[in-house]
Amino acid sequence: MSFLMQHLPILLIAIPLLMAPITILTKGSPGLQKAIDVVVSVGLLALSGLLLSSVWNGGITVYEVGEFGKYGIVLVADLLSASMVGLNCLIGCMGLIYSYDYIESKSLNLTYHSLYNLMLAGINGIFLTGDIFNLFVFFEIMLLSSGALIVANETSTVTKISDKMEATLKYIVLNMLGSNVMLIAVASLYASIGSLNMADIAVKIQILSEAGTLPWHMYAIGLLFIIVFGGKAAVFPLHYWLPDVHPTAPSPISAMLSGVIIKIGAYGILRVLFVIFAPLKGVFGPVILMMALITIGLGATSAIGQNDVKRLLAYSSVSQIGYVFLGFGMGAIAYAEGLVAGATLIIAASFVYLVNHALAKSMLFLTSGGIIHHAETRDMRKMGGMINSNPLMAGAFLVGAMSIGGVPPMGGFIAKFSLFDAGLRSEFYIPIAIALLFAVFTLFYMFRGWMLIFWGERDPQYGEYSHHKLSFLMVGPILLLAALVLIFGIYAEPVLDIAQTIASQVIDPQPYIDAVLLRVIR
Amino acid sequence: MNNVMLALTISLLFGIGTFLILRRDMMKVIIGFGIVSHAINLYIVASGVFSEGTLVPILEHHQAVHGLDQGLIVADDVAAGVIGPITTNPFTEFVDPLVQALVLTAIVIGLATTAFILTLAYRIYEEYGTTDVQELRRLWG
Repeated sequence: MSFLMQHLPILLIAIPLLMAPITILTKGSPGLQKAIDVVVSVGLLALSGLLLSSVWNGGITVYEVGEFGKYGIVLVADLLSASMVGLNCLIGCMGLIYSYDYIESKSLNLTYHSLYNLMLAGINGIFLTGDIFNLFVFFEIMLLSSGALIVANETSTVTKISDKMEATLKYIVLNMLGSNVMLIAVASLYASIGSLNMADIAVKIQILSEAGTLPWHMYAIGLLFIIVFGGKAAVFPLHYWLPDVHPTAPSPISAMLSGVIIKIGAYGILRVLFVIFAPLKGVFGPVILMMALITIGLGATSAIGQNDVKRLLAYSSVSQIGYVFLGFGMGAIAYAEGLVAGATLIIAASFVYLVNHALAKSMLFLTSGGIIHHAETRDMRKMGGMINSNPLMAGAFLVGAMSIGGVPPMGGFIAKFSLFDAGLRSEFYIPIAIALLFAVFTLFYMFRGWMLIFWGERDPQYGEYSHHKLSFLMVGPILLLAALVLIFGIYAEPVLDIAQTIASQVIDPQPYIDAVLLRVIR
Repeated sequence: MNNVMLALTISLLFGIGTFLILRRDMMKVIIGFGIVSHAINLYIVASGVFSEGTLVPILEHHQAVHGLDQGLIVADDVAAGVIGPITTNPFTEFVDPLVQALVLTAIVIGLATTAFILTLAYRIYEEYGTTDVQELRRLWG
């Protein structure tokens, strides 16, 4: 047990990496392959829970990979990393179980398992690493494996393979551009600071800015990082790939993309701009705030006119990630104005928003897979009356729609309420007014979608709904995530507590820096 | 002079790469990505060359015996502009080896992404019968 606890951070990356070849080797016996992968996936979920509880009780865990002392790569599990890893393992496990019935068996057997595990390893690595070049490497692992997963074949043939190719080309090309920009930023940072360890860079930038000798190109590097993470999170000028990619991906992969992968951008902003570029927060705050406000408006107004159920959810993701970034922008500005308590509240609220959106949106994407299975189309105008033939999906979609729209008692209500409350306490009246206006839009487009799909009657010219029942493998994950959405709304205290601690660590990164730099070097 | 030439080469490569990425032909876009990633690799390697007197001291045993480790500064004094381990010894001519390790990693990653995107481009050519990016318009972002 102590061995397990000691090596927990590396295990969360190494186990899925190891699973990638194992699932290829066992492709001769699909039953064994599925069994191994689901057991390991549940085990990863347990390990991430263990990591979260050990970080919550015992403080920041630093794991040294290799024995290079100060110059080696470290894995750092602070509360932010640990909770993001937990989120990834949870949604990843649910998505994997769901895929067993949703993905075509040949595709599932051949490459799906190993690519899925590589993606999980990449995402866990992104969240846990304490080295900025290592972050880039894990970005690429995640990018390539998720790009290959988007073209995986589904059992339903609603999405044409040529559409998937086109979407993947957009995804890969634009994210490759982002990776190139990130490499330039990392190289410039290394050339001027002389370190790749995030805590070390943070200390040096702190000292340089206190001495007043911070080189001007640090601002440019910070903006490059905003481009990189903004592109991953799909905020306004960099959002245009998302509404093509998320709908064409198979539903479990859409759930991963919308639930976890766009949150990587939010995590990167918290880690890089708030920890590394801590003294420059006030400079980048207004940039993030403006981008966020435009993203909210654009995503919400585009979502209103959509007739494709998954496209609606994708535009909703664009809009919702804008709310998370709105919190980051307001927090940075409040911190620069000296309102430390207010900034902590705002960052905590946007973290709560992030978690609740991840759960609700991944659940909605899984539900949309069930709906597509049932209706054999993605066009909402060709649906209707599904509440009679498929009440389970109707209930799940309603829970998700209520959470995204911010209706109590769902988790989304707590998230929106705490974000607006924290923003108003720090006197951000105009941004909150705009956000509130588009929150009404959110409510409108989610319930427009719900009514189009589930109420009314289906036009007879589109025929009957298919009668094959949804298997337990598809229904189980949806119900579990829906229950979590409800629980996080009714019993929100644990999430709020964790978010408060995370926010205070993000606002004052000294514990993170101390944990990394003042450890006993072997 | 060398530094100027290096900087000009890197900027020229960036220019060519960006020009190619903005073309309509998918193959040109992919080649453009290759050129840009090599420009970035050159940029990273170039950042490992320090100006005179601030060379990174990776000393082997026999060099330490010959007294080349004199003038070694390990502790940071960031306020005075002294960062990381440097040496003031004028007889050492080393470049930072870490950036070369970074470039190796970046090259391998570039290989993987290029291979993936080439395969994808071939499949798109099979599906659409063209490599013109503007013909791929079944999805509207």
